[in-house]
Amino acid sequence: MGHHGTADKFIATAQRPAENGAPTEDMIRDLVDRFYTRVRDDPELGPIFERAIPGDWGPHLATMRDFWSSIMLTSGHYKGNPVAIHRRVEGIEPELFGRWLALFDETCRELFNDDLATTFRVKATRIAESLTLALFYKPDRPWRRGTP
Amino acid sequence: MTYVVTDNCIKCKYMDCVEVCPVDCFYEGENMLVIHPDECIDCGVCEPECPANAIFPDTEPSLESWLKLNAEYASVWPNISVKCEPPTDSKEFDGVINKFEQFFSPRPGQGDGGCEDGGPAKVQPVNGEPPGLGQDP
Repeated sequence: MGHHGTADKFIATAQRPAENGAPTEDMIRDLVDRFYTRVRDDPELGPIFERAIPGDWGPHLATMRDFWSSIMLTSGHYKGNPVAIHRRVEGIEPELFGRWLALFDETCRELFNDDLATTFRVKATRIAESLTLALFYKPDRPWRRGTP
Repeated sequence: MTYVVTDNCIKCKYMDCVEVCPVDCFYEGENMLVIHPDECIDCGVCEPECPANAIFPDTEPSLESWLKLNAEYASVWPNISVKCEPPTDSKEFDGVINKFEQFFSPRPGQGDGGCEDGGPAKVQPVNGEPPGLGQDP
């Protein structure tokens, strides 16, 4: 965290959750920025993401801010189909979701208090499980149409 | 894993859930909504939004038949992502027990764009078992 000195100073004053423990939009922005910097530097995740998002990352970061704002603040900002989008990602493997979650949790713990970091982790873990099921194990799901 | 819509949505259909769902996985029947289990990402945002407390994670016990119903009708009913006015008699049906047996309608709702004139179509009770369902939820 040494090279994030100015960010740390900012966090000390601005990274407090609202009264009800929910994050602010600014906190979500910081999380998304810092997390995806880490993802792009990661030897496992970096190449997959760089291939999926060549060029300008601005739109992706904006999408992810909207996504987490919708999840954590029920803002309704994000409307999309993450299952379909992940299905198109070349090289995506179930194990990579574990790596993603580890980096996400690490980032949350740097930025937020324990309760809020845990809330993010629980949400992210459930979503990751759901995505991996939809992407990799779908044919085995008992409620698929056409199966008894 | 997914969330499922259950009995108390029937004839209440408040639709607050569709506004907050990030992945637009709600589908509209004539008098209830269902969640498409393959599209739901299990984020849980809809659960506390439902004024009728009709949405549960499928990890709750005894929801298999509701899961089956959600999956089956999500594939035939139209998608709904914009909230319409709930039925005018919503509140009268909130909390009524065994609504499925009395009121469930397998007919589709109007989906997005269906409530432009300010309210959904009047709903008539439909009795009888919906096609393709082996057991009542």
